[in-house]
Amino acid sequence: MAEIIFDGVTKIFGDDIRAVDDLSLAIAEGEFMVFVGPSGCGKTTALRMLAGLEDITSGSLSIGGRIVNNVLPKHRDVAMVFQNYALYPHMSVERNIGFALKIRGDSKDEIKRKVDEAATILHLNDFLDRRPKALSGGQRQRVAMGRAIVRNPQAFLMDEPLSNLDAKLRVEMRLEIARIQRLLGVATVYVTHDQVEAMTMGDRVAVMREGKLQQVDTPQDLYDRPANEFVAGFMGSPPMNLIRCHASAGNDRVAVHFGHQVIELPWNYTSSHALPESGLEVVVGVRPEDVLIVDGASTNTLETRVERREALGAEILVHLSLLDTTTSSTSDGELSRPVSLVAKMGPRTKVSVGDILYVQLSPEHAHFFDATNGDSLRTRP
Amino acid sequence: MSVITATTKQNAGPWMTLRRRRQFAGFLFTLPALALVIGFIGIPIGQAIYYSFTSWNGLTSQWIGPSTWSQAFHNSNLWTALQNNALLLLSVPFALGLPLCIAVLLHQRVAGWKVFRSIYFMPTAISWVVLGLVAERFFAYQGTLNSIIHFFGFSHTNTNMLGYESTALSALGITFVFTMIGTNTMLFLTGLATLDPTLEEAARIDGAGRWRIFRSITLPHLSRFIQLAFVMTVIALFSALFSLIFVMTGGGPGYATTTMEFLIYQTGFNQGDFGTAALYGIILFVLTAIVGIVQLRLIGSDE
Ligand SMILES: Nc1ncnc2c1ncn2[C@@H]1O[C@H](COP(=O)(O)OP(=O)(O)OP(=O)(O)O)[C@@H](O)[C@H]1O
Ligand SMILES: [Mg+2]
Repeated sequence: MAEIIFDGVTKIFGDDIRAVDDLSLAIAEGEFMVFVGPSGCGKTTALRMLAGLEDITSGSLSIGGRIVNNVLPKHRDVAMVFQNYALYPHMSVERNIGFALKIRGDSKDEIKRKVDEAATILHLNDFLDRRPKALSGGQRQRVAMGRAIVRNPQAFLMDEPLSNLDAKLRVEMRLEIARIQRLLGVATVYVTHDQVEAMTMGDRVAVMREGKLQQVDTPQDLYDRPANEFVAGFMGSPPMNLIRCHASAGNDRVAVHFGHQVIELPWNYTSSHALPESGLEVVVGVRPEDVLIVDGASTNTLETRVERREALGAEILVHLSLLDTTTSSTSDGELSRPVSLVAKMGPRTKVSVGDILYVQLSPEHAHFFDATNGDSLRTRP
Repeated sequence: MSVITATTKQNAGPWMTLRRRRQFAGFLFTLPALALVIGFIGIPIGQAIYYSFTSWNGLTSQWIGPSTWSQAFHNSNLWTALQNNALLLLSVPFALGLPLCIAVLLHQRVAGWKVFRSIYFMPTAISWVVLGLVAERFFAYQGTLNSIIHFFGFSHTNTNMLGYESTALSALGITFVFTMIGTNTMLFLTGLATLDPTLEEAARIDGAGRWRIFRSITLPHLSRFIQLAFVMTVIALFSALFSLIFVMTGGGPGYATTTMEFLIYQTGFNQGDFGTAALYGIILFVLTAIVGIVQLRLIGSDE
């Protein structure tokens, strides 16, 4: 169990593929850290550098206070769970799990004891004699976990360990892995592209994009205070509505113009956000659950039409288009197409396509982003 | 609807389970191949068995009976040839081991691996007759081997491996190993290419060093390829050495490099005794078949 510190770690493949770019991040003892991001953003590469399977181009990486840039994988004392599990096909489950212990030179009895212990935690006792081929996907996944936990390593590294399982099993194993990690208290780096996994499993989540770290935070903070437009759009399902509009903060009010529909937001946004005073373009972000339907038009409502309705059982997603934005008085090209919003509504809300609805944006939960670089305009946490 | 149900029921009648039907279909599919096998392999084997009981000079055959067999086993040449075959088996570990090492090295993408790959594969594309000629020049008194020895300063040392009964068979064995390197290396490279690289990575993280990875991951993965290479090598040794022997030694000196295969040729075409040649042919066939069957058993027991 140890602290893992990435300090300006960069990986360049070939001449110019920056798979990981200047990654700085500290993972505490016993922490469950999730790396999340879209495909190709460098999550696997970061993990493989930590495992010692990939050289580090520059920067330094330390585990438990020891710089490991040039340490061989076998001397790093980390265990890894691969996406395809990488079980040794010609060994029984028992030998698969005990392989590392055997290499380490543990006695036969000791190996037996530890393997049995791991098998009990993972409910694998009945399968110890089988070859991996004779196991189901979920069982193989458990064996891969078993191989990691018997070693009692300094850290667990997992690269999308659940992506080969069906949806139901994935939910089950998600809880299972989280349970085992808490039980053993071993620092864990868990790679996934599934933001639900990231939100539910991680103590903290690191969001990456194109090799660069975007934000590291607890799942709730990531959700409530995204550092930029990318994180805002990536975390949460359905994603946050991000709408280009013009904001002006002045005369004790924050006015947001969508075409020539205008709403006002509480003045206190100006104390926590750097909002433009003069109607400059910004991106406003509102989560679907913060789009509220109100009974009739008033000063703070937007007039919308229902374009699509998706009933998901426990909730209904309503796709709305803002009326009138096409005839915007501004000459801005961005606003000349209809602006759409997704709203999450209760299962018994009566809406149908074509309805005209008046919506409000929940006054406390609007996000503002710079229209050019996407950074959050928030100035205070 | 009811019609369909009726016919389905009929077809799935109790006299033929689904499994049976599959087997039957399988049998039907193999019929053409079976006919070819019987026609081109079975019948000649039957004929050979028949001729082994005759005295046959190539034109007229005369039935003699089982005494041909008891006589044949009194022929010391047969025992020499069998012994030579057995001794040549000693080259098989080398014909497998060397390619295995080469393949593992090439697989690790050592510098210049593409060039080496071509070099090792070259013998495969060259006729064994040519290889035999090259080998004959290599081992000859005024050949390459002695030049190399002289080059390293041992100017009074001379070898003539093909010239002595004691060493000719070794020279043949060495040549055989070289002719097999290309094929076996390719076979092992193919095997290595099907090895999931994450297994090696997993083993490295589990703490395994190179040797341990080779022994615990690579070798078990390659075992089937090694078994296949073993069978192919032994069969080649028993039944494809003819051209090398013919070009390099003609079976001599004496009978030092006469294998069963070569003995068959000599008995038939030099001595005109095709009956005995057929008899030897059957012995060789049985020996080869035993190797194959034992090996198939081993492969089978793996599952
Ligand atoms: N061996 C390699 N050689 C060259 N480029 C590579 C290599 N491995 C990865 N890359 C590149 O590095 C970038 C990051 O790859 P990486 O596998 O880390 O992505 P990822 O975040 O794990 O994606 P995914 O979710 O699809 O697994 C990609 O652009 C990829 O093409
Ligand atoms: Mg990946």
